[in-house]
Amino acid sequence: MNGPLERIPAYVREFERYVPSRPDAALMRQYGVSRLVRLNNNENALGPPPSAREAVAAFDPARAAVYPSGDAYDLRHALAARFGKSPEQFLVGNGSCEVIASVIRALCAPGDAIVTADRTFAVYEWVARFSGIASRLVPLKNLALDPAAMHAAVTEGVRVVFVCNPNNPTGSWWNRAVLESFLRALDGRAMVVLDEAYREFVDDPDFPDGMEIMESHDNVLVFRTFSKMYGLAGFRVGYLCGSLEATDIIRRTQIAYSVNVLGQVAATAALADDAGHIAATRRMVADAKAFLGRECDALGLEYVCGQGNFAMVRTPVSDTLLYRRFMRQGIMVRTMTGFRFPNWIRVSLAPEAAMQAFATALRSALDAK
Amino acid sequence: MPEETRLVVEIPPDMAFAHCLAGVAKTLAERLGMGPRENLRFQLTVEEFCMYLAGVARDGRPMRIELTGKRHLLHAAFGFEASELALGGLNITACPKPGQSGESPKDIGLLLAGKAADRFFLEHQGGDRFRIVAEVDRVYPALSPVRPPESSRPPYRLLAEHDPARLTQAAALASGAYPAWQCPGSFRTPEKFADLVADGQVDCLAAVDASGRMAGLVTWSPCSDRAIYFSGPFVFAADTPRADIARLLLDGMLMALARTPYVIMLSFRGTDDLTPGYFEPLGNLRVSAEAGGEQAVVFRHLREDAGLAVWCSPRIETFLRQSYERLEMFRDLLPVEEPPVRTRTESLLGATLDRQRDLAELQPFLDGRDMAANLAAHVDAIRGKGIGRILFYMDLSRPWEAALAEDLTHAGFVPKLVLPYAGQADKVVWQHERAS
Repeated sequence: MNGPLERIPAYVREFERYVPSRPDAALMRQYGVSRLVRLNNNENALGPPPSAREAVAAFDPARAAVYPSGDAYDLRHALAARFGKSPEQFLVGNGSCEVIASVIRALCAPGDAIVTADRTFAVYEWVARFSGIASRLVPLKNLALDPAAMHAAVTEGVRVVFVCNPNNPTGSWWNRAVLESFLRALDGRAMVVLDEAYREFVDDPDFPDGMEIMESHDNVLVFRTFSKMYGLAGFRVGYLCGSLEATDIIRRTQIAYSVNVLGQVAATAALADDAGHIAATRRMVADAKAFLGRECDALGLEYVCGQGNFAMVRTPVSDTLLYRRFMRQGIMVRTMTGFRFPNWIRVSLAPEAAMQAFATALRSALDAK
Repeated sequence: MPEETRLVVEIPPDMAFAHCLAGVAKTLAERLGMGPRENLRFQLTVEEFCMYLAGVARDGRPMRIELTGKRHLLHAAFGFEASELALGGLNITACPKPGQSGESPKDIGLLLAGKAADRFFLEHQGGDRFRIVAEVDRVYPALSPVRPPESSRPPYRLLAEHDPARLTQAAALASGAYPAWQCPGSFRTPEKFADLVADGQVDCLAAVDASGRMAGLVTWSPCSDRAIYFSGPFVFAADTPRADIARLLLDGMLMALARTPYVIMLSFRGTDDLTPGYFEPLGNLRVSAEAGGEQAVVFRHLREDAGLAVWCSPRIETFLRQSYERLEMFRDLLPVEEPPVRTRTESLLGATLDRQRDLAELQPFLDGRDMAANLAAHVDAIRGKGIGRILFYMDLSRPWEAALAEDLTHAGFVPKLVLPYAGQADKVVWQHERAS
């Protein structure tokens, strides 16, 4: 008899926890390699912008003894100034994963549901499941979110629709017309989260800006992060922006003080001078896309390279086998079976040396079959 | 018929309760519509296990009995505490031992319980706590052959099929098209296969053509908390692009399992229709001792392998190191004490025999000083029944199981392959090599 553990809800008991990869040093020991090229998490290989680097370097270690701003006050004001909104419209979290959890906690009750795609960022589905909220997973159509099917899935009890735009891992995206049409048809029947974690990588003028869209649709929440373009993944800073009323409600379900002081300082500084960094990163990503495309064409491999700093490659052997062969060569990629893309890998787009190492490892791994 | 009926009771270790529990077992079997023979066997199983365990369970500690009726079987679980547990009478090789003058032979009740059930399992839950599970299967009519579809036409799509008639048809089609060793045993009685799906014991996906005709099937079920056994893909129509249907089925299965707790998929029954590149070889087993044919055992991960620690006997250290190196899986090998310290007199092996597939599968439940002799006796008994293939499964999460390597080697078993995550940790599959 386990006493209280016997009364754990089934949706918690049956949930499979996420197992993160081991630290780099442990992985290098495990696979017997002396270097590890991380191409698995879509981090920005260029690191943070110079302004953020300087802020981190100038950080006084003595400040570690003092609690951070409990609601990321300075960062919210910097975001408000940047986007022309009220600081109260922003909620900063320990990465956007915390903000996803806050949204679901605030807006959903047992018996409610969320709608999202079947092959998209997994955390929406995970948080819903371990919170006892149903996930209605809508199949992708031609590797893109299907607006008609997602709209049809919003029936009684659906509280939140998660739209990853651009979609991770396919890089597909809804343009302004598609998004507007979807929101008009939905007519405010559910909150719509536009997860724009990769939006800073997109330079297509037809890409919708969630910060504008939400001005005409008060059921829209926009998620963004400092983990991707801004190269601050190690500090875990993400945020949402919504109407004053929606943000106030969601803020009630989020634990204060969850974002560390150094992360707040670095993110605030990153916003101050990011144009050069964004331009350099976009150039690096464009070069890497071109390189990867040439390599895949030469090897006869199917690939999907949409918006964002990542691409998917279809492999002639199991993705999990390829992962192990890559690791033996010090290259870390993301297997896609868990994203419901069996026998695909996702590769972060990085500077030439890293892409060259990836290409060499790919040829070697495929030759080994 | 109810979906599942479950009765749970705690009783003191007192034989007086055995008879009334047999009455409960009878009512449960009746309510589930079991035949008279299954009903009697279930009553006997429950009564005899209760009687025997009441005699060995620790005084003052209750026994927890769970009786569960599903479509396809009756299931009895007995949780109890015992400090001196001798269950040798459950071995398939057991014979009645003479009692003292005028008494019934020793262990006769245990012997009856073991024979009445179709199978049993023993879980050692730590310390003096044990759980015995015994099952009695519903009897189903044998397979009636069905004609395979002469043609089918695209587009093909997947269905999470639950209609009993169509599931029965699919199992019969697979049985007609593939050798017995590639088909789950339930395909020989296709109505059982439909019940297994309805009971949630087996999952499956069917492929249907443009007119809804059955074109293919793949099935799977858990073999541990971390691993799935799958069978197939089975493709029915000869004139179709078999590879397309097979790939549709495999992709569907992988997507269905993608965000589940399972780490790995394993198959002893992969068909020739497996899509190249989707699975990796674990090794080969002999299909038939006489013919000398080999059966490939395959696997694939569903996510990155985070590594494990496993117990290892020096006798198989080289085999394990080479296996893990070839599979590129990381395992910490923990040495077991040899020779093992054995406090129990009688060992207990679980045995599943399948004559139609010429297969006997053994797994150890209790260690004992008679283990070497018990293994030899099992081999003799199984050979005596005309079964040529004998496999032994060793779970490397338990040091005492890992330490059986020497006894297995002496009994003529050879380690053939590692099944990652197939038990609480990895399992080693040993195959008996017939003496020339």
